[in-house]
Amino acid sequence: MSEQPSSPAPEQGHRRNKPSITRSTRPRSSTKGPLDADNGLLTSPTASASQLSPSLQPPSRSSSANNTAQPRPPPSPTPQLGEARPKDFTFLLQPEIYHPLNVQNIPPAFRNSPKQPNSETPIDELLAKGHFRAAAIAAAQELTGSTINGTSIDPQDASRIFRLLYTRLACLTLIDATSLAAQEAKALEDLNDARRYIDDNTNEHLVPWELRVLHVRLQALGFGDPRRAVMSYHDLAREARDRIRKASLSHDNSARELWKSRLHELGIKVAGALIEMDDLSGAAHHLNSLRDRGDGKLALSKALLWLHLGDIGNAKLCASQCSEDTENVEKLILALCDMADSNYEAALQKWQEFDITVTDEMIGVNQAVCLIYLGRIQEGRNILEKLVDSGLSSHTLLFNLSTTYELCSERNRILKGRLTEKVANMEQSPFGWEKTNADFKL
Amino acid sequence: MSHQAYPSHDPIKEPHSVSVKVLRLSQPSLVTQYPIDPPFSPPNTKSQPAPASLAYSGSNTNPDPFLLSPILNLPVSFGSAYVGETFSCTLCANNDLPPDAAKRIRDVRIEAEMKTPGLGGTQKLELGPANIHGALAGGVDLEPGGTLQKIVGFDLKEEGNHVLAVTVSYSEATETSGRTRTFRKLYQFICKASLIVRTKVSSLNSDTSNIKKWILEAQLENCSEDVIQLEKVVLDTEEGLGYHDCNWSSDGDKKPVLHPGEIEQVCFLVQEKGADNGPRLTADGRMIFGVLGIGWRGEMGCRGFLSTGKLGARVAVR
Repeated sequence: MSEQPSSPAPEQGHRRNKPSITRSTRPRSSTKGPLDADNGLLTSPTASASQLSPSLQPPSRSSSANNTAQPRPPPSPTPQLGEARPKDFTFLLQPEIYHPLNVQNIPPAFRNSPKQPNSETPIDELLAKGHFRAAAIAAAQELTGSTINGTSIDPQDASRIFRLLYTRLACLTLIDATSLAAQEAKALEDLNDARRYIDDNTNEHLVPWELRVLHVRLQALGFGDPRRAVMSYHDLAREARDRIRKASLSHDNSARELWKSRLHELGIKVAGALIEMDDLSGAAHHLNSLRDRGDGKLALSKALLWLHLGDIGNAKLCASQCSEDTENVEKLILALCDMADSNYEAALQKWQEFDITVTDEMIGVNQAVCLIYLGRIQEGRNILEKLVDSGLSSHTLLFNLSTTYELCSERNRILKGRLTEKVANMEQSPFGWEKTNADFKL
Repeated sequence: MSHQAYPSHDPIKEPHSVSVKVLRLSQPSLVTQYPIDPPFSPPNTKSQPAPASLAYSGSNTNPDPFLLSPILNLPVSFGSAYVGETFSCTLCANNDLPPDAAKRIRDVRIEAEMKTPGLGGTQKLELGPANIHGALAGGVDLEPGGTLQKIVGFDLKEEGNHVLAVTVSYSEATETSGRTRTFRKLYQFICKASLIVRTKVSSLNSDTSNIKKWILEAQLENCSEDVIQLEKVVLDTEEGLGYHDCNWSSDGDKKPVLHPGEIEQVCFLVQEKGADNGPRLTADGRMIFGVLGIGWRGEMGCRGFLSTGKLGARVAVR
């Protein structure tokens, strides 16, 4: 291009009519100035260290140079064509992204428990013991480099950054702080931005699948636009299909199965997103287009959707479609149908027929709910208390038991307080140990 | 539902040993869940969802990763009350004395009335279930911490202010003496319209036969805040009239789902059964077809039903 004669030929319409501009931008890209040295090929370590000196920084870059936790300034937003360089995720390491977590909504029985982990407990141990609030805090501290031992994170270490970020956001959703997670997820902006998130060498997306899936829901919440989730799940599904095709071509069976199950999961999530935007008929139509995997889950999902809509006839049809191996699912659907028909005697009988040797929290809780609708609250309360005594503590169980306490006594706060102590004394497990005031209606 | 204690006629100033608690028993709801992969799981493997992200634990009955789960929550709040629904409510009278109290609580009774906005005034409500020991009317003795639970049902037919009045009476006995005490609590709520029905009748001129025909059209508008599914629309016709249903139940179509603000149009073909024994006319020359009944279901099967007033058309003199 530079060899072209200086007089521009008018007939070459695709050329710029001001070649002087083209010529002036070209040489600048090939010059390795202090700002372009981040691929480190031509610069010595001492040279890159000297870049941190503010005197060498142009004034426009001084803001990023102030942050000493970052060894390099962020790369220029427009990498040159064909130039492969590691992505920089400094923008995810800013402390202002991560909100402080409120402890005011944690009952004292948990706040003051000796089971509270100390700040040096590693994240994987926190997760295994169900300390999700502590894990969320630890993940944010590690991301922003404010941990006690002060090892700061490499802004190019994509796998570590995203593992921590996923831990942070996932844990927030587990401690009833999903709206905070939605705010924090905004820092990721558009995960489809190839320049930010696709590795130039491998062409792989640098963000792990589970974070991309979680981001869809959080982004829809953050923007208050549930329709967006449906769209984004479909985008991911297109990619999953492509992966299935590639895995089939390369006879990689395990990869094919992995992507197939991910695709199926996305299909179910689309139905959930449709329900959240109140498009129940759309969700029903969509579920009908999915294939059952033989575990009875799809029949149950459909039945639950019909019940949610109030169409008991169609829910019963789903029960009749259950195979013999999924007899329990059939009985479960019919018991729920009885409850939807306000036929609590019949429903109670069905719940009682379930095998009591298998502890299923759902069956116990639903039986108790049935008893309360039948005017037998004392029996219902006994069942719920026994479930808690056996070590169960789902949000629903605690909420229903707390509601029962509210009905059974003016001094229900004492009963609820005792319940918080009982739950705080439970074993720590991945089911989650710490609960919030809302779980006990406090 | 706002509530207030009613100034009772009880001359005794000390606090009551029995409390009353109420909860509106709308349909229980299916709990939602958002299953996620556990953090720190090995990359590129399909792992089981994080147990804490499921609505309940340890089960093969959970349809994860689906949003809805089969475990049921008791009603979270009072919600909205709509004309056409059955209002159901549980009333609990509790002995709140400590276990070592000297007083004994005997003969606890609950009564309930509903005050409606119309001329009907106040209606006494029937309480279920019957006491396990003895007759329905008898009182129950309550141990400290004990609860007497009753359930009332009431078909909501009018818009406007409703007041549920709950009266609890019991006798408080010590070793040496006894007295009967009574208190009353009022719970007020507003009942709103759920469905607006607009009808239109047009006569269908038949040139050959003497049998008269009409088209009855109706627009059903969901003016509640919930999604409903219409279950049935029936015409209860007067004697001498027949009708043909032109709606979903006649051709096996799906039942229509109405979101808040949405309208479903229904249509009936009404005709005389014979030219001779047609229906009588009213004094002002109107012919009465009958009433239109509309049944629907809401979330988790919540049932609603309402019927219109008498529908008819002015008939030209033969």
